[in-house]
Amino acid sequence: MLYSSLLFIYGFLPLSLLVYIITPESMKKNVLFFLSMIFCALNSLKFLEFMLIYTVVNYIAGALIWILRDKKILSAVPMLFGVSFDIIMIFMFRTKSFSFLRKNFHIPEEFFPIGISFFTLSAVGYLIDIYRKRMRAERDLIKFGLYIMMFPRIIMGPVIRYNTFKKMLKGRKSDLSEIGMGFTIFVKGLVKKVIAADTMYMLYNAVKSVDIWEMPALNAWLGMTAYLLCLYFTLSGFADMGTGVGYCFGFRFPQSFNYPVFSTKIRDFAGNWHVQIIYWFRRYLSKPLCELCRGRVYKKIIFILAWCAVGFWYRFDINGFLWGFFIGLSVVIEKFLGRMKLLKATGIIYTYAVTMICAVFLSGENVSYSLHYLLAMLGGNKVFADSQTFYLLKYYIVLLLICMYFSTNLFRNMLMRSGKTKLRIVMGIFSPLITVLLFAVCTALISYNGNSGMILMKL
Amino acid sequence: MKISRLSDRITAVIMIVFIFSFLILTVLEKKDDYSLSENRSLASMPRPSKESLSNGSYGRELEAYMADHFAYRDKWVSTKARIESDMCEKIVNGVYVGDDRLLDADISERNISEENISAINKFRENYSGTVYFTAVPTSSGVYGDVLPEYLLSNPEKNQIDSLYNAIDDSIRKIDTYNILKMLNDSYIYYRNDTKLTSYGAYYVYRTVIQKLGFLPSAYDKYTIKHITSDFKGNLYSRCLYNGTKPDIIDVYSYSGGAEITSCTAYKNNGMSYRKTLNDADFLLSGNMYRMYLGEEEPFIRIKTSVNNEKKLLLIKDSYADCFIQFLIQHYSEIAVISPEYMEKNISYFIDPNNYEQTLFLFGIDSMDNDKLFELLNK
Repeated sequence: MLYSSLLFIYGFLPLSLLVYIITPESMKKNVLFFLSMIFCALNSLKFLEFMLIYTVVNYIAGALIWILRDKKILSAVPMLFGVSFDIIMIFMFRTKSFSFLRKNFHIPEEFFPIGISFFTLSAVGYLIDIYRKRMRAERDLIKFGLYIMMFPRIIMGPVIRYNTFKKMLKGRKSDLSEIGMGFTIFVKGLVKKVIAADTMYMLYNAVKSVDIWEMPALNAWLGMTAYLLCLYFTLSGFADMGTGVGYCFGFRFPQSFNYPVFSTKIRDFAGNWHVQIIYWFRRYLSKPLCELCRGRVYKKIIFILAWCAVGFWYRFDINGFLWGFFIGLSVVIEKFLGRMKLLKATGIIYTYAVTMICAVFLSGENVSYSLHYLLAMLGGNKVFADSQTFYLLKYYIVLLLICMYFSTNLFRNMLMRSGKTKLRIVMGIFSPLITVLLFAVCTALISYNGNSGMILMKL
Repeated sequence: MKISRLSDRITAVIMIVFIFSFLILTVLEKKDDYSLSENRSLASMPRPSKESLSNGSYGRELEAYMADHFAYRDKWVSTKARIESDMCEKIVNGVYVGDDRLLDADISERNISEENISAINKFRENYSGTVYFTAVPTSSGVYGDVLPEYLLSNPEKNQIDSLYNAIDDSIRKIDTYNILKMLNDSYIYYRNDTKLTSYGAYYVYRTVIQKLGFLPSAYDKYTIKHITSDFKGNLYSRCLYNGTKPDIIDVYSYSGGAEITSCTAYKNNGMSYRKTLNDADFLLSGNMYRMYLGEEEPFIRIKTSVNNEKKLLLIKDSYADCFIQFLIQHYSEIAVISPEYMEKNISYFIDPNNYEQTLFLFGIDSMDNDKLFELLNK
């Protein structure tokens, strides 16, 4: 069950919210954990079982590190054990490796713990933080369980540090205006997924349906734009839905994306893309490495390396790795050329071109396909446009432009910067209506299948 | 109070009311097992079992149940079709929404199954009479010019040609594609269905019956009766787009000609019963098209008052349902075999060699189903 399914929106969400509101304050935490268990169980009992084992293993590892905290070497043992457990798990489920483990534990081929890429990061970060004595281990298993399994976070929810989470848990308050804000964010995410991402996916597939050797250059660019927008709207859509649900239950989760797609600098793209994930890799990978090897050149290498890891995290193959490598490399090159003054428009154009070329690696099934696609983008097929181009442009251009507009911060800035109270009042009046209208449109769009599934990546 | 807080509260109240009212409506609504508009059975409430809970199929079934029984599902789905066809490409659930008709958009994904070709050839080897074969295009074959080019990589014309080339030379192939293409200004295909109208079937009949050795009856000899003008076919059922005009179903009867003396349907369990053709009761079912032949049965034997001892074996799919009414003037006995409903071998029902002519009449889309002719040969 994903957030973008009728069963969740019209069944699980309202009922669990109702249960949560009527429970007395002292019990709310336990009820939330119980609800998260039901959420997992509805995906499958196997998933619930896996999540509970996963939580307990990390809980015990964390506790052992804390107990042995004064003995530096001894405390590394449970830390290494816990971290390698988490990493083996993610490799086992996201790649074909460790298949002997799958066999030994009788894990069916089709079983995939959804959200594993996210809660692995949470768990690993937790263990490392305790080891480095940045915080104490959690004693309350329920609290720690919520950190790993809480249903608004489990699918693609923001990756936050345990301390931040604990503060949220403590300071949470859910009242009517908080719920309203939550629903607004939830609907925003739903619109991103159901309207923007799903139609961009159709466009991307339409472009891809022709033979790669015959693909006109304009189609290739169109397809890659659609791909990147689709990826952005899928990831940020699910994150927003999770965040919105979090708000309804009183958790003020942070935003995951900060309008990266059409930036004026590659640096801005890199800095605003999947903010918490990038932050995680910086905190737990680049920083410790930088402390080991000091020096400007090393720093650059480590920066690129961290981006390779981010890219690898998305796909768990060489293609993802290459995407990260090229993004990291272009940021470094950009810094060298940093002195050049550029106009805003030229900045957007070159950033767009570079991010598109990088995205080819993130999208392709394998490296050779990506290279062929790149060739098509650069006009290697000697066709610039054909009848399909005009067909696609005719039907998708409006939607594409709307998606492009809303992937930038123009709309938000218009709302924020206009000091005029008039606009605020108008927005205040219309925002509930717009929210419920868009919500109805999304309901209609998912009514046929009952959900709008995960596309492009299984994270 | 700040405006934004007030506005958030209003949002919360509206959203909660909206969500809970649909939740309550969905729970209270009467649950049908069958959707007339979509012409399919709906999911039933899954029963939790250890197996289904553990592998997650329970959750998936529950989602399917929720989707199928969501309050006002039909209205939601037709709204979806409207929104999608206005918003971007005119394709909804694999159906192309044209200005005046719906078309199947998945035609290029079809494969002419090898199993079917060899089954047809094998049938010919063991058969003493003459075999005729007609593959009828679907509406996408005749009106497909409006489809976007990337969906036409494998057009129906090519599919029919490759099928005709693959089947044995001693089988007489009858081309209907060109005549139908020529007549595409007329009402020869339903707007909401892939199949031929009776009018289209009449032209197929004219072509086919000449090859079978008869003179076709003139069009003005028929009395035409409009059975309904409210027919919404299989394409509508797939997308519930209701911006296309519903279709008319006609029945043709030959005034003063031969009549049906007996019509018997045989079931897979050996039971048989008398069948009435053109049974208006079926207009109330989800698929009005079934009106022509009624309940789907593997074998129907039609005997007529024609006195020429000529017998035809017709092996067909639903494209032939409205075609049969034209054959009555020419044969004293017509055996109608529908391989898609056969659960037993053909010899369980009849011996093909008792019939001097065999006509295969299929929509080209049926040839994709490689299980179709599984039971055609002994």
